[in-house]
Amino acid sequence: MPSTESCADRAAPQPLEAIAGFAAMLREHGLSVGVAEQQAFVRSALRLPLERCEMLDAAWRAIACHDARDWRRWPDLFARYWHPQRTRGTTRVSGQTRPSRNLQQIVQSLHDSMAPGAPRAAAADTALQVPQDTLLQDTNAADLPRAQGGASRTEALHDRSLTQWLPQDLAQLERLAEQISKTMRKRLTRRWHEHSSGRRLDVRRTLRASLRTGGVPVHPAWRTPRRERPRLFILVDVSRSMQTHAQLFLRIARAFVTSMDARVFVFHTRLAEVTPLLRSDSAAVQEKVNAVTAGFGGGTRIATSVASFHAVHARAQLTRRSRVWVLSDGFDADEPHCLADELACVRSRGARIIWLYPSAQPPASQAMQAVNARSGLVERQRRLDSLRDLAALADQLR
Amino acid sequence: MTDAELRESLHRAGYIADEALATTLWLAGELQRPLLVEGDAGVGKTALASALARASGLQLIRLQCHEGLDLAQAAYEWNYARQLLAIRLHENSAQRVAEADLFARDYLLERPLLQAISSDAPCVLLIDEVDRADEAFEAFLLEVLADYQITVPELGTLKAKHIPHVVLTSNGTRELSDALRRRCLYHYLDYPSLAREVAIVRSTLPQAESGLVEQAVEFVQRLRREDLAKKPGVAESLDWVRALHRLEFKALPDDPLALSGTLACLLKTREDRFQLGPERVRQLIEGRRTVGVAEKAPQPG
Repeated sequence: MPSTESCADRAAPQPLEAIAGFAAMLREHGLSVGVAEQQAFVRSALRLPLERCEMLDAAWRAIACHDARDWRRWPDLFARYWHPQRTRGTTRVSGQTRPSRNLQQIVQSLHDSMAPGAPRAAAADTALQVPQDTLLQDTNAADLPRAQGGASRTEALHDRSLTQWLPQDLAQLERLAEQISKTMRKRLTRRWHEHSSGRRLDVRRTLRASLRTGGVPVHPAWRTPRRERPRLFILVDVSRSMQTHAQLFLRIARAFVTSMDARVFVFHTRLAEVTPLLRSDSAAVQEKVNAVTAGFGGGTRIATSVASFHAVHARAQLTRRSRVWVLSDGFDADEPHCLADELACVRSRGARIIWLYPSAQPPASQAMQAVNARSGLVERQRRLDSLRDLAALADQLR
Repeated sequence: MTDAELRESLHRAGYIADEALATTLWLAGELQRPLLVEGDAGVGKTALASALARASGLQLIRLQCHEGLDLAQAAYEWNYARQLLAIRLHENSAQRVAEADLFARDYLLERPLLQAISSDAPCVLLIDEVDRADEAFEAFLLEVLADYQITVPELGTLKAKHIPHVVLTSNGTRELSDALRRRCLYHYLDYPSLAREVAIVRSTLPQAESGLVEQAVEFVQRLRREDLAKKPGVAESLDWVRALHRLEFKALPDDPLALSGTLACLLKTREDRFQLGPERVRQLIEGRRTVGVAEKAPQPG
């Protein structure tokens, strides 16, 4: 009795459907692959000689990938679709057939049906156009809310706790951080900068520019007020009670360092800045952070750390354009009233404070009760234990 | 030219490209799409464009991007001084100068983008470090890269006589827009493998001792696995081997102190110099004796 796979291989390959399926799969994994990219897939497959069809991997990678993140994920996605038998973890169900995905056959079929002079070429508007039925298949896939306009970078977020972190979550987190940083409201600053469509004449630059046209001010220079994104400070509690969450909170912090140049501090009995350590994409980040905090001793002194933060580290940068996120469970070894006092100092500089905690319930320590008793200190307290939590917070983090 | 022939031409031009890169370059030419190359500094992004120009026998036109780069520096600028001169010259003559005469091609200063568009022969246009330019400039590039045309309001739309081979490079200092990325083919240029890097150094510095090249490149490859702030690229490897060759080393010395002066070619930050003390350098040197390149390189056939 022939195996399921051999039956499938004997079936006539449908090249355009297979390529459209591949594009849909890429979209599901966050790559921006629309109709233009699919057409480029087909064009490149037609241009590459049949005997070189293994090079389609490189060619399609150049078409479908738009950044280093996509580039790194490509080999796995390509193998998963075109060579499922080589990837581990696939299951086969007896009696179930699936369309053939033999790349060589697909390309052969493409050449036969769509090469110039082939009978089918005349039927289509253009030999390189993806037929309507293929596009229809794409449209069905695009009906999902996350795939608008044929291509989307947004993936479904999950409720899985951040403690059950998977490597693929990193890409989602980075995108989310980018999205949140874009939604942060830009504020006018007192400084002005040169801009072609500015509303105020920059006399000094205009006069300087007029020198090359014999003193005639042919090139007026304009200025416009500068708008800047809020300055973000993230304070991550790395004490023992936060051991299971600290590493994941650092990942979140790192995503914001990349997307909006946030400054990140870690604390338990003391505070230390780790922004430079988070800038490089190194596997040794956690070791470095551990090394920085190694001599801090046990316990958590949040109030002392916050005092050190506003008085030393961020003294000159805390303004009304600053946002301070504290990622902590709120258990403080300092005197209960101290934390509220120190947060009041931060607040008095105009910075807005958001407290993010990993537990199901808001922190109920004495220090946090004292903070809650003084209204207006902490703008929001929200749970952060999954990517979905972070996505839900996006609107509140402006 | 097929992708294999292009790869061979690049090799002759002194650029050793792997098969995937050659295919991507070839495809960019076939589909007439720009190629966006990203990767760490020093991996050979800019060199790729100049090698492509040499390999294809085409002129290389380079636009170096920087913050504040505007249309006048990148595409075109009216030669106002000449226009004013023309006006003054005609002031006392009976024949008055017409406005249309002043906005003719004679008074247009062509900058790299317009040069590439209006070039009489095909050329290679290198838009280097596009991430350093402002977002507004990036938006302007969309018209150039999608339709290979530039609109000059006074003259109309100038279409390319020959579609240039466009190579954009980026170091990732700023996120480029999706619109720009989707107009380009993309290639991420990673650090080369050991065998490829040895081949690159050998082809660039044929006068250096073969043993020295192998050992030095192995050292650099090990160094890249260290947690450095700035990893050495191919350019740094070439500099280092050149320096060692000038100092008449036939092989890597066992003594790390003998190397310490030359490490300035590889380590470019104070932290990295501090991190790589003599003991760590010794360990990296000793690592070279465990595996030789000759054993690791795949045997032909």
